[in-house]
Amino acid sequence: MSGARKVASATAAPAGPVSLPGLSGAWRRRGRAIGLGLLYPLPFLLILLAWVLAKDLFGLSDDVLVTPAAVITSAGELVDFGTLPGDVSLSLKRLAIGSLLAAAIGVPIGLALGFSRYGAMMFDPFLRFFQAVSGIAILPLLLVWFGFSEATLQLVILYTALVPIIFSTMTGVRTIPPIYSQAIETMGGNRLRLVRDVYVPGALASIVVGVRLGIGYGWRALIAGEMLIGAGGLGFMIFDARRFHVIGQILAGMILIGVLYLIIDRLILKPLEDVTVRRWGLQRV
Amino acid sequence: MSAAARRLPRDHAQWILPIIPFATLVVLWVVGWQIAQPTLATMPSIGQVWETVARLSGNGELWSNIGASLGRWALGFVVGVITGITLGVLAGLVPTLARLLEPPATFFTAISGIVWLPLAIVWFGLGAVTVTFVIWNSVFFLVFAGTLLGVRSVQPVYEDAARTLGAGRAHVVMRVVVPGAMPYILSSVRSGAGFAWRALIAAEIIGATTGLGAMIYKAKEFFRSDTIVAGVIVIAILGLAIDMLVLAPLERRTVERWGLVTSSRRPA
Repeated sequence: MSGARKVASATAAPAGPVSLPGLSGAWRRRGRAIGLGLLYPLPFLLILLAWVLAKDLFGLSDDVLVTPAAVITSAGELVDFGTLPGDVSLSLKRLAIGSLLAAAIGVPIGLALGFSRYGAMMFDPFLRFFQAVSGIAILPLLLVWFGFSEATLQLVILYTALVPIIFSTMTGVRTIPPIYSQAIETMGGNRLRLVRDVYVPGALASIVVGVRLGIGYGWRALIAGEMLIGAGGLGFMIFDARRFHVIGQILAGMILIGVLYLIIDRLILKPLEDVTVRRWGLQRV
Repeated sequence: MSAAARRLPRDHAQWILPIIPFATLVVLWVVGWQIAQPTLATMPSIGQVWETVARLSGNGELWSNIGASLGRWALGFVVGVITGITLGVLAGLVPTLARLLEPPATFFTAISGIVWLPLAIVWFGLGAVTVTFVIWNSVFFLVFAGTLLGVRSVQPVYEDAARTLGAGRAHVVMRVVVPGAMPYILSSVRSGAGFAWRALIAAEIIGATTGLGAMIYKAKEFFRSDTIVAGVIVIAILGLAIDMLVLAPLERRTVERWGLVTSSRRPA
Protein backbone atom coordinates (compact mmCIF):
# COMPACT_ATOMS: atom_id res chain seq x y z
CA MET A 1 0.00 0.00 0.00
CA SER A 2 2.54 2.57 1.09
CA GLY A 3 5.00 1.23 -1.45
CA ALA A 4 2.50 1.82 -4.24
CA ARG A 5 1.91 5.35 -3.01
CA LYS A 6 5.60 6.12 -2.98
CA VAL A 7 6.09 4.81 -6.51
CA ALA A 8 3.14 6.83 -7.70
CA SER A 9 4.40 10.04 -6.14
CA ALA A 10 7.84 9.48 -7.57
CA THR A 11 6.70 9.01 -11.14
CA ALA A 12 3.37 10.77 -11.55
CA ALA A 13 2.72 14.50 -11.72
CA PRO A 14 3.37 16.46 -8.49
CA ALA A 15 -0.36 17.24 -8.29
CA GLY A 16 -0.98 13.87 -6.65
CA PRO A 17 -3.74 11.35 -7.29
CA VAL A 18 -6.80 13.37 -6.23
CA SER A 19 -6.19 16.95 -7.35
CA LEU A 20 -9.01 19.35 -6.72
CA PRO A 21 -9.86 21.22 -9.90
CA GLY A 22 -9.53 24.98 -9.64
CA LEU A 23 -7.25 24.87 -6.61
CA SER A 24 -3.69 25.53 -7.77
CA GLY A 25 -0.66 23.97 -6.10
CA ALA A 26 0.42 27.30 -4.64
CA TRP A 27 -2.93 27.78 -2.92
CA ARG A 28 -2.97 24.31 -1.54
CA ARG A 29 0.54 24.79 -0.23
CA ARG A 30 -0.52 28.02 1.38
CA GLY A 31 -3.52 26.31 2.91
CA ARG A 32 -1.22 23.62 4.26
CA ALA A 33 1.13 26.22 5.69
CA ILE A 34 -1.76 27.95 7.45
CA GLY A 35 -2.88 24.57 8.77
CA LEU A 36 0.60 23.94 10.13
CA GLY A 37 0.67 27.43 11.62
CA LEU A 38 -2.56 26.70 13.44
CA LEU A 39 -1.13 23.37 14.56
CA TYR A 40 1.85 25.03 16.23
CA PRO A 41 0.06 26.42 19.32
CA LEU A 42 -2.08 23.28 19.61
CA PRO A 43 0.38 21.22 21.72
CA PHE A 44 0.77 24.14 24.11
CA LEU A 45 -3.01 24.36 24.45
CA LEU A 46 -3.09 20.62 25.14
CA ILE A 47 -0.45 21.07 27.85
CA LEU A 48 -2.52 23.86 29.41
CA LEU A 49 -5.56 21.59 29.30
CA ALA A 50 -3.66 18.71 30.92
CA TRP A 51 -2.32 21.13 33.51
CA VAL A 52 -5.81 22.40 34.48
CA LEU A 53 -7.23 18.86 34.45
CA ALA A 54 -4.39 17.49 36.56
CA LYS A 55 -4.94 20.17 39.17
CA ASP A 56 -8.68 19.47 39.26
CA LEU A 57 -8.66 15.68 39.05
CA PHE A 58 -5.95 15.12 41.64
CA GLY A 59 -7.21 17.96 43.77
CA LEU A 60 -3.71 19.44 44.00
CA SER A 61 -3.39 22.29 46.48
CA ASP A 62 -1.92 25.65 45.52
CA ASP A 63 1.21 24.62 47.40
CA VAL A 64 1.85 21.99 44.72
CA LEU A 65 0.41 23.39 41.52
CA VAL A 66 -1.52 26.54 40.70
CA THR A 67 -3.73 27.23 37.70
CA PRO A 68 -2.30 28.88 34.57
CA ALA A 69 -4.42 31.94 35.40
CA ALA A 70 -2.71 32.16 38.80
CA VAL A 71 0.68 32.12 37.05
CA ILE A 72 -0.35 35.15 35.01
CA THR A 73 -1.61 36.86 38.18
CA SER A 74 1.73 36.11 39.90
CA ALA A 75 3.65 37.52 36.95
CA GLY A 76 1.42 40.63 37.03
CA GLU A 77 2.07 41.08 40.76
CA LEU A 78 5.80 40.80 40.26
CA VAL A 79 5.67 43.42 37.52
CA ASP A 80 3.57 45.68 39.78
CA PHE A 81 6.04 45.31 42.66
CA GLY A 82 8.71 46.23 40.15
CA THR A 83 10.88 43.22 41.05
CA LEU A 84 10.45 41.25 37.82
CA PRO A 85 11.82 43.87 35.37
CA GLY A 86 14.74 44.36 37.75
CA ASP A 87 15.49 40.63 37.95
CA VAL A 88 15.23 40.20 34.18
CA SER A 89 17.54 43.09 33.39
CA LEU A 90 19.98 41.97 36.10
CA SER A 91 20.21 38.44 34.67
CA LEU A 92 20.54 39.69 31.10
CA LYS A 93 23.19 42.22 32.10
CA ARG A 94 25.20 39.52 33.87
CA LEU A 95 24.94 37.23 30.86
CA ALA A 96 25.92 40.01 28.46
CA ILE A 97 28.97 41.07 30.48
CA GLY A 98 30.11 37.51 31.10
CA SER A 99 29.76 36.32 27.52
CA LEU A 100 31.25 39.48 25.98
CA LEU A 101 34.28 39.12 28.27
CA ALA A 102 34.50 35.43 27.42
CA ALA A 103 34.45 36.17 23.70
CA ALA A 104 36.97 39.01 24.05
CA ILE A 105 39.38 36.74 25.93
CA GLY A 106 38.54 33.38 24.36
CA VAL A 107 38.71 34.23 20.67
CA PRO A 108 42.30 35.60 20.70
CA ILE A 109 43.45 32.65 22.85
CA GLY A 110 41.73 30.18 20.54
CA LEU A 111 43.28 31.81 17.47
CA ALA A 112 46.74 31.78 19.05
CA LEU A 113 46.45 28.09 19.98
CA GLY A 114 45.09 27.19 16.58
CA PHE A 115 47.96 28.77 14.62
CA SER A 116 50.16 25.75 15.11
CA ARG A 117 49.26 22.10 14.89
CA TYR A 118 51.38 21.44 17.96
CA GLY A 119 49.72 24.24 19.92
CA ALA A 120 46.34 22.66 19.31
CA MET A 121 47.70 19.21 20.10
CA MET A 122 49.22 20.52 23.33
CA PHE A 123 46.09 22.22 24.67
CA ASP A 124 43.37 19.87 23.43
CA PRO A 125 43.34 17.54 26.52
CA PHE A 126 43.86 20.53 28.84
CA LEU A 127 40.75 22.24 27.49
CA ARG A 128 38.81 18.97 27.60
CA PHE A 129 39.72 18.62 31.27
CA PHE A 130 38.38 22.07 32.09
CA GLN A 131 35.31 21.45 29.97
CA ALA A 132 34.60 18.59 32.39
CA VAL A 133 34.91 20.99 35.35
CA SER A 134 31.67 22.93 35.11
CA GLY A 135 31.44 26.52 36.31
CA ILE A 136 29.12 25.47 39.12
CA ALA A 137 31.69 22.92 40.35
CA ILE A 138 34.27 25.67 40.92
CA LEU A 139 31.65 27.92 42.51
CA PRO A 140 32.45 26.76 46.07
CA LEU A 141 36.09 27.72 45.53
CA LEU A 142 35.11 31.10 44.10
CA LEU A 143 32.82 31.60 47.11
CA VAL A 144 35.76 30.99 49.43
CA TRP A 145 37.85 33.51 47.50
CA PHE A 146 35.35 36.24 46.64
CA GLY A 147 32.38 35.58 48.93
CA PHE A 148 28.72 35.86 47.91
CA SER A 149 29.45 38.68 45.51
CA GLU A 150 28.77 39.89 42.01
CA ALA A 151 32.38 39.04 41.11
CA THR A 152 31.80 35.36 41.93
CA LEU A 153 28.75 35.24 39.68
CA GLN A 154 30.50 37.03 36.82
CA LEU A 155 33.50 34.71 37.07
CA VAL A 156 31.24 31.64 36.92
CA ILE A 157 29.64 32.86 33.66
CA LEU A 158 32.98 33.98 32.23
CA TYR A 159 34.63 30.64 32.98
CA THR A 160 31.66 28.60 31.73
CA ALA A 161 31.46 30.45 28.41
CA LEU A 162 35.23 30.75 27.95
CA VAL A 163 36.16 27.09 27.51
CA PRO A 164 33.78 26.27 24.61
CA ILE A 165 34.72 29.54 22.87
CA ILE A 166 38.47 28.81 23.06
CA PHE A 167 37.89 25.22 21.99
CA SER A 168 35.68 26.02 19.04
CA THR A 169 37.91 28.86 17.80
CA MET A 170 40.99 26.66 18.01
CA THR A 171 39.28 23.81 16.14
CA GLY A 172 38.00 26.31 13.58
CA VAL A 173 41.50 27.54 12.75
CA ARG A 174 42.84 23.99 12.57
CA THR A 175 40.20 22.89 10.08
CA ILE A 176 40.99 25.65 7.56
CA PRO A 177 42.54 23.85 4.56
CA PRO A 178 46.27 24.76 4.53
CA ILE A 179 46.05 25.74 0.87
CA TYR A 180 44.66 29.18 1.82
CA SER A 181 47.52 30.13 4.11
CA GLN A 182 50.00 28.63 1.66
CA ALA A 183 48.56 30.83 -1.09
CA ILE A 184 49.00 33.96 1.04
CA GLU A 185 52.52 32.95 2.04
CA THR A 186 53.50 32.20 -1.58
CA MET A 187 52.39 35.66 -2.56
CA GLY A 188 54.57 37.14 0.17
CA GLY A 189 51.89 37.90 2.76
CA ASN A 190 53.15 38.30 6.33
CA ARG A 191 51.76 36.85 9.54
CA LEU A 192 49.36 39.76 10.01
CA ARG A 193 47.84 39.27 6.56
CA LEU A 194 47.54 35.58 7.35
CA VAL A 195 45.56 36.29 10.52
CA ARG A 196 43.41 38.96 8.91
CA ASP A 197 42.68 37.25 5.60
CA VAL A 198 42.78 33.55 6.43
CA TYR A 199 42.53 32.63 10.10
CA VAL A 200 39.84 35.05 11.30
CA PRO A 201 37.45 34.76 8.33
CA GLY A 202 38.13 31.03 8.02
CA ALA A 203 37.41 30.37 11.67
CA LEU A 204 34.53 32.86 11.94
CA ALA A 205 31.80 30.25 11.54
CA SER A 206 33.35 28.12 14.29
CA ILE A 207 33.81 31.19 16.49
CA VAL A 208 30.11 32.03 16.22
CA VAL A 209 29.19 28.40 16.94
CA GLY A 210 31.45 28.49 20.02
CA VAL A 211 29.97 31.78 21.24
CA ARG A 212 26.45 30.40 20.86
CA LEU A 213 27.39 27.27 22.78
CA GLY A 214 29.19 29.33 25.43
CA ILE A 215 26.16 31.58 25.94
CA GLY A 216 23.94 28.49 26.21
CA TYR A 217 26.14 26.98 28.92
CA GLY A 218 26.60 30.40 30.53
CA TRP A 219 22.86 31.00 30.81
CA ARG A 220 22.37 27.73 32.72
CA ALA A 221 25.36 28.41 34.96
CA LEU A 222 24.00 31.91 35.61
CA ILE A 223 20.58 30.61 36.71
CA ALA A 224 22.19 28.00 38.99
CA GLY A 225 24.67 30.57 40.33
CA GLU A 226 21.93 33.10 41.06
CA MET A 227 20.08 30.48 43.11
CA LEU A 228 23.13 30.15 45.35
CA ILE A 229 24.45 33.71 45.48
CA GLY A 230 21.14 35.25 46.47
CA ALA A 231 21.73 38.68 44.95
CA GLY A 232 18.73 39.01 42.63
CA GLY A 233 18.20 37.79 39.09
CA LEU A 234 15.73 35.27 37.69
CA GLY A 235 17.47 32.26 39.21
CA PHE A 236 17.24 33.82 42.66
CA MET A 237 13.64 34.82 42.05
CA ILE A 238 12.42 31.26 41.37
CA PHE A 239 14.60 29.82 44.12
CA ASP A 240 13.42 32.33 46.69
CA ALA A 241 9.76 31.79 45.73
CA ARG A 242 10.30 28.10 46.65
CA ARG A 243 10.84 29.01 50.29
CA PHE A 244 7.33 30.44 50.53
CA HIS A 245 5.80 27.82 48.22
CA VAL A 246 4.69 30.53 45.79
CA ILE A 247 4.30 28.13 42.87
CA GLY A 248 2.85 30.81 40.61
CA GLN A 249 6.06 32.84 40.84
CA ILE A 250 8.25 29.78 40.23
CA LEU A 251 6.29 28.81 37.11
CA ALA A 252 6.18 32.40 35.82
CA GLY A 253 9.94 32.63 36.30
CA MET A 254 10.56 29.28 34.57
CA ILE A 255 8.45 30.25 31.56
CA LEU A 256 10.23 33.59 31.37
CA ILE A 257 13.64 31.91 31.56
CA GLY A 258 12.66 29.60 28.69
CA VAL A 259 11.22 32.39 26.54
CA LEU A 260 14.23 34.67 27.11
CA TYR A 261 16.64 31.88 26.21
CA LEU A 262 14.70 31.02 23.05
CA ILE A 263 14.73 34.71 22.05
CA ILE A 264 18.49 34.96 22.62
CA ASP A 265 19.29 31.63 20.98
CA ARG A 266 16.76 31.26 18.18
CA LEU A 267 16.08 34.87 17.23
CA ILE A 268 19.57 36.35 17.68
CA LEU A 269 22.36 33.77 17.80
CA LYS A 270 21.02 31.12 15.40
CA PRO A 271 20.34 33.60 12.55
CA LEU A 272 23.78 35.12 13.19
CA GLU A 273 25.29 31.65 12.96
CA ASP A 274 23.40 30.86 9.75
CA VAL A 275 24.52 34.10 8.10
CA THR A 276 28.13 33.53 9.15
CA VAL A 277 28.19 29.94 7.98
CA ARG A 278 26.68 30.91 4.64
CA ARG A 279 29.04 33.83 4.11
CA TRP A 280 32.29 32.51 5.57
CA GLY A 281 31.73 28.81 6.17
CA LEU A 282 34.21 26.56 4.43
CA GLN A 283 32.00 23.52 4.44
CA ARG A 284 29.00 23.45 2.18
CA VAL A 285 26.15 22.15 4.25
CA MET B 1 58.88 1.97 6.66
CA SER B 2 59.80 5.54 5.94
CA ALA B 3 56.22 6.63 6.40
CA ALA B 4 56.14 4.91 9.77
CA ALA B 5 59.42 6.55 10.73
CA ARG B 6 58.05 9.95 9.81
CA ARG B 7 54.90 9.36 11.79
CA LEU B 8 56.71 8.25 14.90
CA PRO B 9 57.75 11.69 16.25
CA ARG B 10 54.19 12.91 15.79
CA ASP B 11 52.87 10.02 17.84
CA HIS B 12 55.32 10.89 20.56
CA ALA B 13 54.31 14.55 20.34
CA GLN B 14 50.71 13.52 20.78
CA TRP B 15 51.54 12.00 24.14
CA ILE B 16 54.20 14.40 25.38
CA LEU B 17 52.81 17.80 24.34
CA PRO B 18 49.53 17.56 26.28
CA ILE B 19 51.49 17.01 29.51
CA ILE B 20 53.09 20.47 29.21
CA PRO B 21 50.06 22.63 30.14
CA PHE B 22 49.14 20.34 33.03
CA ALA B 23 52.75 20.32 34.26
CA THR B 24 52.91 24.11 33.96
CA LEU B 25 49.74 24.45 36.01
CA VAL B 26 51.16 22.15 38.71
CA VAL B 27 54.46 24.09 38.80
CA LEU B 28 52.59 27.42 39.05
CA TRP B 29 50.48 25.97 41.86
CA VAL B 30 53.52 24.69 43.81
CA VAL B 31 55.60 27.84 43.32
CA GLY B 32 52.66 30.18 43.86
CA TRP B 33 51.71 28.37 47.04
CA GLN B 34 55.29 28.54 48.37
CA ILE B 35 55.46 32.28 47.72
CA ALA B 36 51.99 33.26 48.97
CA GLN B 37 51.74 30.66 51.79
CA PRO B 38 47.93 30.92 51.86
CA THR B 39 45.82 29.51 54.68
CA LEU B 40 43.96 26.25 54.20
CA ALA B 41 40.75 28.27 53.87
CA THR B 42 42.04 29.98 50.73
CA MET B 43 44.14 27.52 48.78
CA PRO B 44 45.57 24.11 49.62
CA SER B 45 48.98 22.83 48.59
CA ILE B 46 49.18 19.80 46.35
CA GLY B 47 50.34 17.75 49.31
CA GLN B 48 47.31 18.80 51.36
CA VAL B 49 44.96 17.86 48.51
CA TRP B 50 46.64 14.48 48.23
CA GLU B 51 46.36 13.89 51.99
CA THR B 52 42.70 14.88 51.86
CA VAL B 53 42.01 12.47 49.01
CA ALA B 54 43.78 9.71 50.97
CA ARG B 55 41.90 10.56 54.19
CA LEU B 56 38.47 10.81 52.53
CA SER B 57 38.93 7.60 50.60
CA GLY B 58 40.33 5.90 53.70
CA ASN B 59 37.30 6.68 55.87
CA GLY B 60 34.94 5.88 52.99
CA GLU B 61 33.44 9.39 52.78
CA LEU B 62 34.71 9.91 49.23
CA TRP B 63 33.43 6.54 48.04
CA SER B 64 29.96 6.98 49.51
CA ASN B 65 29.67 10.42 47.90
CA ILE B 66 30.92 9.10 44.56
CA GLY B 67 28.42 6.26 44.87
CA ALA B 68 25.56 8.67 45.62
CA SER B 69 26.46 10.92 42.69
CA LEU B 70 27.03 8.13 40.19
CA GLY B 71 23.87 6.31 41.29
CA ARG B 72 21.65 9.35 40.77
CA TRP B 73 23.38 10.19 37.53
CA ALA B 74 23.01 6.63 36.21
CA LEU B 75 19.33 6.37 37.20
CA GLY B 76 18.32 9.71 35.69
CA PHE B 77 20.51 9.09 32.64
CA VAL B 78 19.21 5.57 31.89
CA VAL B 79 15.56 6.57 32.33
CA GLY B 80 16.18 9.71 30.25
CA VAL B 81 17.83 7.73 27.45
CA ILE B 82 15.13 5.03 27.35
CA THR B 83 12.21 7.47 27.41
CA GLY B 84 13.96 9.82 24.96
CA ILE B 85 14.70 7.09 22.40
CA THR B 86 11.24 5.52 22.70
CA LEU B 87 9.38 8.77 22.22
CA GLY B 88 11.84 9.95 19.56
CA VAL B 89 11.35 6.79 17.47
CA LEU B 90 7.57 7.00 17.85
CA ALA B 91 7.55 10.65 16.80
CA GLY B 92 9.87 9.84 13.90
CA LEU B 93 7.48 7.19 12.63
CA VAL B 94 4.27 9.16 13.18
CA PRO B 95 4.59 12.66 11.64
CA THR B 96 1.49 13.97 13.41
CA LEU B 97 2.98 13.03 16.76
CA ALA B 98 6.23 14.76 15.80
CA ARG B 99 4.33 17.92 14.87
CA LEU B 100 2.62 17.84 18.26
CA LEU B 101 5.70 17.10 20.34
CA GLU B 102 8.36 19.18 18.63
CA PRO B 103 7.27 22.73 19.59
CA PRO B 104 6.89 21.96 23.32
CA ALA B 105 10.12 19.92 23.23
CA THR B 106 11.96 22.98 21.92
CA PHE B 107 10.56 25.04 24.76
CA PHE B 108 11.30 22.46 27.44
CA THR B 109 14.86 22.05 26.15
CA ALA B 110 15.33 25.75 26.84
CA ILE B 111 14.46 25.22 30.51
CA SER B 112 15.80 21.67 30.88
CA GLY B 113 17.87 20.76 33.90
CA ILE B 114 18.60 23.10 36.74
CA VAL B 115 15.74 25.54 36.05
CA TRP B 116 13.35 22.85 37.36
CA LEU B 117 15.19 22.61 40.66
CA PRO B 118 13.04 24.99 42.77
CA LEU B 119 9.82 23.32 41.60
CA ALA B 120 11.33 19.85 42.03
CA ILE B 121 12.33 20.72 45.60
CA VAL B 122 8.76 21.82 46.36
CA TRP B 123 7.35 18.65 44.78
CA PHE B 124 9.84 16.03 45.94
CA GLY B 125 11.77 17.66 48.79
CA LEU B 126 15.56 17.86 49.08
CA GLY B 127 17.40 14.71 48.04
CA ALA B 128 17.71 11.87 45.59
CA VAL B 129 14.31 12.12 43.82
CA THR B 130 14.77 15.82 43.09
CA VAL B 131 18.30 15.34 41.78
CA THR B 132 17.29 12.33 39.64
CA PHE B 133 14.35 14.27 38.19
CA VAL B 134 16.66 17.13 37.18
CA ILE B 135 19.08 14.65 35.55
CA TRP B 136 16.28 12.92 33.65
CA ASN B 137 15.11 16.31 32.53
CA SER B 138 18.49 17.35 31.14
CA VAL B 139 18.92 14.06 29.24
CA PHE B 140 15.42 13.38 27.92
CA PHE B 141 14.86 16.38 25.65
CA LEU B 142 18.32 16.16 24.06
CA VAL B 143 17.96 12.44 23.32
CA PHE B 144 14.41 12.92 22.05
CA ALA B 145 15.55 15.60 19.58
CA GLY B 146 18.59 13.53 18.50
CA THR B 147 16.52 10.38 17.95
CA LEU B 148 13.90 12.25 15.94
CA LEU B 149 16.62 13.74 13.76
CA GLY B 150 18.20 10.30 13.35
CA VAL B 151 14.98 8.54 12.39
CA ARG B 152 14.27 11.25 9.83
CA SER B 153 17.75 10.82 8.38
CA VAL B 154 17.14 7.16 7.50
CA GLN B 155 16.54 7.08 3.77
CA PRO B 156 13.14 5.64 2.83
CA VAL B 157 14.85 3.42 0.23
CA TYR B 158 16.21 1.20 3.02
CA GLU B 159 12.77 0.82 4.58
CA ASP B 160 11.28 0.09 1.16
CA ALA B 161 13.96 -2.47 0.43
CA ALA B 162 13.28 -4.30 3.69
CA ARG B 163 9.54 -4.21 3.07
CA THR B 164 9.93 -5.46 -0.47
CA LEU B 165 11.82 -8.40 0.99
CA GLY B 166 8.82 -9.08 3.18
CA ALA B 167 9.81 -7.51 6.48
CA GLY B 168 7.00 -6.60 8.86
CA ARG B 169 6.54 -3.26 10.57
CA ALA B 170 8.28 -4.30 13.79
CA HIS B 171 11.17 -5.80 11.88
CA VAL B 172 11.63 -2.60 9.86
CA VAL B 173 11.65 -0.50 13.04
CA MET B 174 14.06 -2.70 14.98
CA ARG B 175 16.41 -3.66 12.15
CA VAL B 176 16.32 -0.62 9.83
CA VAL B 177 15.02 2.53 11.50
CA VAL B 178 16.68 2.25 14.92
CA PRO B 179 20.10 1.07 13.64
CA GLY B 180 19.99 3.72 10.91
CA ALA B 181 19.28 6.42 13.48
CA MET B 182 21.88 5.05 15.91
CA PRO B 183 24.77 7.44 15.09
CA TYR B 184 22.52 10.46 15.80
CA ILE B 185 21.04 8.81 18.87
CA LEU B 186 24.42 8.07 20.38
CA SER B 187 25.83 11.52 19.73
CA SER B 188 22.83 13.01 21.55
CA VAL B 189 23.24 10.43 24.34
CA ARG B 190 26.87 11.49 24.68
CA SER B 191 26.15 15.20 24.95
CA GLY B 192 23.20 14.38 27.21
CA ALA B 193 25.56 12.57 29.57
CA GLY B 194 27.76 15.67 29.75
CA PHE B 195 24.82 17.99 30.41
CA ALA B 196 23.51 15.57 33.03
CA TRP B 197 26.86 15.46 34.84
CA ARG B 198 26.95 19.27 35.04
CA ALA B 199 23.33 19.45 36.15
CA LEU B 200 23.99 16.75 38.75
CA ILE B 201 26.76 18.69 40.46
CA ALA B 202 24.70 21.90 40.42
CA ALA B 203 21.62 20.10 41.75
CA GLU B 204 23.64 18.43 44.52
CA ILE B 205 25.22 21.73 45.55
CA ILE B 206 21.82 23.39 45.81
CA GLY B 207 19.43 20.60 46.71
CA ALA B 208 21.08 17.59 48.35
CA THR B 209 23.04 16.64 51.43
CA THR B 210 25.09 13.80 49.95
CA GLY B 211 27.05 13.38 46.72
CA LEU B 212 30.15 15.09 45.37
CA GLY B 213 28.38 18.42 44.77
CA ALA B 214 27.11 18.51 48.35
CA MET B 215 30.54 17.44 49.61
CA ILE B 216 32.36 20.41 48.06
CA TYR B 217 29.63 22.84 49.07
CA LYS B 218 29.73 21.64 52.67
CA ALA B 219 33.52 21.99 52.62
CA LYS B 220 33.06 25.68 51.78
CA GLU B 221 31.10 26.17 55.03
CA PHE B 222 34.03 24.75 56.98
CA PHE B 223 36.59 26.71 54.97
CA ARG B 224 38.26 23.52 53.72
CA SER B 225 39.63 24.46 50.33
CA ASP B 226 41.55 21.16 50.25
CA THR B 227 38.28 19.20 50.16
CA ILE B 228 36.86 21.54 47.51
CA VAL B 229 39.88 21.17 45.20
CA ALA B 230 40.00 17.40 45.76
CA GLY B 231 36.29 17.15 44.99
CA VAL B 232 36.57 19.29 41.85
CA ILE B 233 39.39 17.08 40.55
CA VAL B 234 37.39 13.91 41.26
CA ILE B 235 34.33 15.43 39.52
CA ALA B 236 36.41 16.29 36.45
CA ILE B 237 38.08 12.88 36.28
CA LEU B 238 34.78 11.02 36.64
CA GLY B 239 33.12 13.23 34.01
CA LEU B 240 36.02 12.65 31.62
CA ALA B 241 36.09 8.91 32.34
CA ILE B 242 32.40 8.50 31.60
CA ASP B 243 32.86 10.33 28.31
CA MET B 244 36.16 8.90 27.15
CA LEU B 245 35.97 5.33 28.42
CA VAL B 246 32.28 4.57 27.91
CA LEU B 247 30.51 6.95 25.56
CA ALA B 248 33.19 7.87 23.02
CA PRO B 249 34.10 4.20 22.25
CA LEU B 250 30.41 3.32 22.09
CA GLU B 251 29.78 6.13 19.62
CA ARG B 252 32.83 5.23 17.55
CA ARG B 253 31.89 1.57 17.38
CA THR B 254 28.31 2.37 16.46
CA VAL B 255 29.31 4.71 13.67
CA GLU B 256 31.63 2.02 12.33
CA ARG B 257 29.04 -0.69 12.72
CA TRP B 258 25.87 1.11 11.66
CA GLY B 259 26.96 4.44 10.23
CA LEU B 260 25.45 4.76 6.80
CA VAL B 261 28.58 6.39 5.41
CA THR B 262 31.20 3.77 6.15
CA SER B 263 29.07 0.68 6.57
CA SER B 264 29.60 -2.03 4.01
CA ARG B 265 26.78 -4.10 5.41
CA ARG B 266 23.42 -4.14 3.79
CA PRO B 267 20.88 -2.45 6.01
CA ALA B 268 18.31 -5.16 6.68
